[in-house]
Amino acid sequence: MEVPLHDVDVLVPKDVTEVLRLLSSRRGFKLLAGGTDLLVQLRSGAVPKSDLIDISGLRELRYVKRSNGHIAIGALTTFSEIAESEIVKRYAPILAEAAETIGSVQIMNKGTIGGNIINASPAADSLPPLYVLDAELKLISLNGTRIMGISDFYKGYKMLEIRPGELLAEVKLRAMGAGEVGHFFKHGLRQGDAISVVNGAVILDLDGDKVRNAAIALGAVAPTVVRAPEAEKVLKGKKLREDVMWEASRAVLKSISPIDDVRGSAAYRREMSVNYLYMTLWRLAKEVGAV
Amino acid sequence: MIKPTTMSRRIEKEFRFFLNGKAMTVRAPPCHTLLEILRYELRMTGTKEGCARGDCGECTVLLNGEPVHSCLTVMTQVEGKNVTTIEGIDPEHRLVRSFVEAGAVQCGHCTPGLIISSYALLLKRPRPTEEEVKEAIRGNLCRCTGYSKIVKAVLSAAGV
Repeated sequence: MEVPLHDVDVLVPKDVTEVLRLLSSRRGFKLLAGGTDLLVQLRSGAVPKSDLIDISGLRELRYVKRSNGHIAIGALTTFSEIAESEIVKRYAPILAEAAETIGSVQIMNKGTIGGNIINASPAADSLPPLYVLDAELKLISLNGTRIMGISDFYKGYKMLEIRPGELLAEVKLRAMGAGEVGHFFKHGLRQGDAISVVNGAVILDLDGDKVRNAAIALGAVAPTVVRAPEAEKVLKGKKLREDVMWEASRAVLKSISPIDDVRGSAAYRREMSVNYLYMTLWRLAKEVGAV
Repeated sequence: MIKPTTMSRRIEKEFRFFLNGKAMTVRAPPCHTLLEILRYELRMTGTKEGCARGDCGECTVLLNGEPVHSCLTVMTQVEGKNVTTIEGIDPEHRLVRSFVEAGAVQCGHCTPGLIISSYALLLKRPRPTEEEVKEAIRGNLCRCTGYSKIVKAVLSAAGV
């Protein structure tokens, strides 16, 4: 049965200050950004009904900027804007790749990066790139500003390190360096408009065909997105050869703890994690001429 | 037996927007969707309801020129904006004619959404590649045609 929403009030503040005042004035509001997840959850009853603050029209939180080797993205920037941003395409191409695969064009036009972060699905496609780009989140409230690394923000399945009265205002990423290459990967049950069964992001810092450093993150295979330090360690200092890539891909199993669900079994997810990491490493190795 | 429910409060607010170029004012609960208002208040039933959860694309409309799900767009998000529905597309438009000529319509339920999505694509990319057409309509499910005639229709409308 669908939950009727005719009794839900939606307030539309004119600026961020007004949002923060509303958030501090009483508990129980939910913030509405694109609404592509929240409205479905409200109607299904997965999220209890409450009044909403519609922040989707706040232009001041919609931007992509570059400063001091970093990229700052306003929380209400849509995935269409991220996918088309010249700054993202140039300095964080793995995030542009991920943005392109999020749902459909319709979803990309409304869904925001802040919404994806706060909705906290372990399968969220923007998160693996944010993990390997050492994203920092800017949380603002009337009491001040807190900056937090993305992996500290998620404490468990949909458990966030956010306080009442706080608003996620900005995501800051490091720009990929000159020697760095990377790709986002996604396995869905359909080519487009699908929720990820396994997704991930890989960055390799290369010196010729030798890996100086590696950053690997996977989604949909644990209660939160996870980094894969064991796989990263296998690659570090080695040449991108067949046996190294296979060993690193197998090592990813030490970092993940998938479950059975409607989109796939835990065993299937384990196998897909290894295979996709392997395919992605091969793709990168081929692109740089290492194999 | 159906249990009588107690009527909870009903909140209504006034919303102004442009629908297919015409200024509109409606009173509606702010968390009601554009789809509900179009179909049940304004009786504009060209926009279809499929899954009502953003998966099928049947309810696609243009909001300020961009395709969005009207089932996931609440009235506060419509305020002051331009909405284009299938009723706002000229029936003689080359895209509509191409769909008919290519036989890209069977049951017809997905057709309004597909026309809107392809219309938006052609505004941005007047001569798209086949890959671009497929990307643009990946969020519009059709269970009859197998998509090949739809893709053909869009390409043929673009003269590709």
